[in-house]
Amino acid sequence: MKIKTEYLGRVEGEAGFRFRTKDGRLEELEINIWEPPRFFEGMLVGRRYDEAPDIVARICGICPVSHMLTSIRAIEKAIHFEPGPETQAARKIMAYSQIASSHLVHLVMLALPDYEGKDSMMELLTEKGKDTFFKKFIRVKEVFNGITRAFGGRALHPVSMVVGGFTSAPGKKEIDGLLSGLASSESDLEDIIGTMSGLKPPRLETGSELVCLSDDGGYAINEGRIVSSMGLNAMEDEYEGLFEEREAAYSNAKKTTLTQRGQIMTGAMARVGLKSGRLGTKARKLAFSAGLVTETNTIGKNKNPFHNIMAQAVELLHFAQECKNLLEIARASAGTKAGTGPLRPSPPPREGEGKALTEAPRGLLYHSYTLDRMGTIRKANIVTPTAHNYLAMEQDLRRLIEDNINLPAEGLRSLAGMLIRAYDPCFSCSVH
Amino acid sequence: MSFYKKRAFRPRTGFFKFTCCTGCGFELAYFQKSLEETLRSFDFTFFRLASSAGSPEGPFDLALVEGAVTEPFQIIELKKIREKSKVLYAVGSCAIVGGIPAIKALSPEIEIERAAYKERFFGLSSTRPNVIDDYVKVDGHIRGCPPGERDLEEALASVLLGKKPEFIEYSVCMECKRGGNACVLVEEGLPCMGPVTNAGCGALCPAHHRACYSCFGLMGQANVPALKGKFRKLGFSEEDIERFFTLFGALEPSSTLI
Repeated sequence: MKIKTEYLGRVEGEAGFRFRTKDGRLEELEINIWEPPRFFEGMLVGRRYDEAPDIVARICGICPVSHMLTSIRAIEKAIHFEPGPETQAARKIMAYSQIASSHLVHLVMLALPDYEGKDSMMELLTEKGKDTFFKKFIRVKEVFNGITRAFGGRALHPVSMVVGGFTSAPGKKEIDGLLSGLASSESDLEDIIGTMSGLKPPRLETGSELVCLSDDGGYAINEGRIVSSMGLNAMEDEYEGLFEEREAAYSNAKKTTLTQRGQIMTGAMARVGLKSGRLGTKARKLAFSAGLVTETNTIGKNKNPFHNIMAQAVELLHFAQECKNLLEIARASAGTKAGTGPLRPSPPPREGEGKALTEAPRGLLYHSYTLDRMGTIRKANIVTPTAHNYLAMEQDLRRLIEDNINLPAEGLRSLAGMLIRAYDPCFSCSVH
Repeated sequence: MSFYKKRAFRPRTGFFKFTCCTGCGFELAYFQKSLEETLRSFDFTFFRLASSAGSPEGPFDLALVEGAVTEPFQIIELKKIREKSKVLYAVGSCAIVGGIPAIKALSPEIEIERAAYKERFFGLSSTRPNVIDDYVKVDGHIRGCPPGERDLEEALASVLLGKKPEFIEYSVCMECKRGGNACVLVEEGLPCMGPVTNAGCGALCPAHHRACYSCFGLMGQANVPALKGKFRKLGFSEEDIERFFTLFGALEPSSTLI
C-alpha cells in the first residue's frame, strides 16, 4: 500500500510525506520538504551588518522576531557591542509576545481542527452563540499582536528593533493599553488553554533527546547554555562543533542533529520538559496536570511528541504572565509620549565573528556571521528549529505508522498529518 | 444588515504560495484585524495554510498569489491559476517586485546556491527570481512586506462589491507628512527611501525614527536619480546607495536606477 500527501495542509510552508507498507510492514518513508530554497546564506554575503535583521526577518512570516533577535545578538557579539538592560528587557517582550502569538496560531488554527474532526478552523465560524470560541481567539490574538506592534512598530516584520537596540519605544499610555488588554483577555485565554490542554492526543513513545537553552535566571529564551535530557551542557559558541547538518537527496531542508547521537527534539516540549521549574506558578501547575512533567521527576520523561501542543498551551500561559511582568517594569521607566527612548542606536562596524542561539517558538535557532572591518557580511550560517526537529519528525512518523500499521489508508494518512503538525514545523524556515 | 443578508455572493477564493516566507498568508489569516469578516465573506476553497481540504483546481472568483517565481514548476502552476480565476491579485513584495528573495538575482546563481548547499546543489532547479507579472496578467497589486492592511481590505471589498480597486499609488512621503513626522532624510540625514517608495505602511519607519527601507517597493515614476543625488550629498558611498536600492528592488531594471 502506497500513501502519499504531496502538499500537507495547516502547516507553515510546503512539504509532504509518502510511505509504503507491505504485508503489515513499513518499507519506506520520507518527509519531503519541497519548499523552494531562497539561499539566505548566499544572499547575506555582501550585505552590511545592519541590514541583516531586516533581511532574515523574511525567512519566516510567523517567527520573524526570532530571526531578527538571533541575528542582532550574533552581530552585536561580532562587533563587541553590549546592549543595555532596557534593550534586553524590550527584546524579551518582543520574543515572549511573538512566541505567544505563534503558539496561538498553531494551537487554534493549525492543530485544533485535527482534534475536532475538521479540515480547518474556518469551520468553527458556524459555531452558534454570541461569544464564540473564534471571537475569543481573535481577541487574544489582537492582544499579543498589539504587544509586538507596540515595541516593534509592526507585529509582522517589525521595524524598530535594530542592531544596537530600538529606534523608538512605547509611552506610558500605550503600555497601559497593553496591560489592560492582557487583563481583559485573561478569561478568553483561560478558555483557549483549557480547551487545548484537555485534548486527548494519540499514543506514541519515541526516543528523542530533548534539547533547549537554559540559564540560572529564568526560562531562557533569548540566550543561554545548550542543555539536553541526556546531560549535554555546553556554551552557544560550541554549537558548530556539537551539531552537524546533513543534506537529503529528496528534500530542500537539511537534517541537523547532535554529532554521533540520535534524533533530537527542540521547542515547547523540550523547554517545558527540561525547565518546568522555571515556569510561572500557574503554568507549572498546568504542566503537571497535563502530564508533561511529574513532581518527582521533572526531566523530560514524557516521550510523546503529540504532547507538544500541551507544552505550547503551558507556554502560552507562562508568556502571558511574563509579558505582564515585563510590561509593568517597562511602564515604570516609559516616557509620557510614545516614540521616546533610546533613539537610533547604531554601533560602528568592526571585523569579527559572532554566533548566537535563541529559542524561537519552534525551538533552537542558530545564526552566525563573519564580518569584515567595514561591517560587510562575508559568511553567514543559519540553522532553524525545524531543521533540528526534521530527523525526529521522520523517525517518529516511522514509529507511528509501525504502531498503527493495521489502520486503513485514510486513517494512517490523517494520523501522519496530525503528528507532523504536532511538531509545529515551519518549512519556510527549515529550507530558507 | 439586510444588505448583508441578501448578499449571496461568497467568492470562491484560492490562496497560493510561491517562493516566500508565508507572511502574506499569515497577514490574511491571522494578523489583519478584520479576520472574521474576511473568513465569513470569502469561501476559501484552496488555502493550504488554513485548511487541509480543498483543491487547487478551481475555478476561482479570486486568486491571491504570494511569493516570487523561482522554480520552473511554479510557472506552469501560475498559468493554470490564471486560466481558472476571474480575478488574480498579486500579494506582497515578493510577488510584485521580487522582495528579499530577489537579492539572489544580484550574483551568479552558482555563488549564491553554493553558499547554502553541497551535494544537494546538483538536485536544485532554482532559477533567477522573477515577479508574477512576468508570466501572467495580474489584475491588481496588494503591495507591502507584509501587505498593507488598507490595500488588502480595498482589494477584498472590491471583489465583493464588483468594483475596480483603488490602490495607494503615491510615495511614503505623503503618508509621512500626513502623520506629522519630522523628515528623517532632511532633518537627520538618514538614507530614507520614502520619497521613491510606494506608500501603504503609514510611514511606519520614519514614524519610528528610522529610514524607510522600501519594503513596499518603488512606486511608479519614482525620481530615483534625484534621491541618489541626495544620498551622495549626504556622503553615502556608491556601494551603500546600491544596497539601499537593491534590498527590495533587486529586479528593477538598472535603467531606472541610475
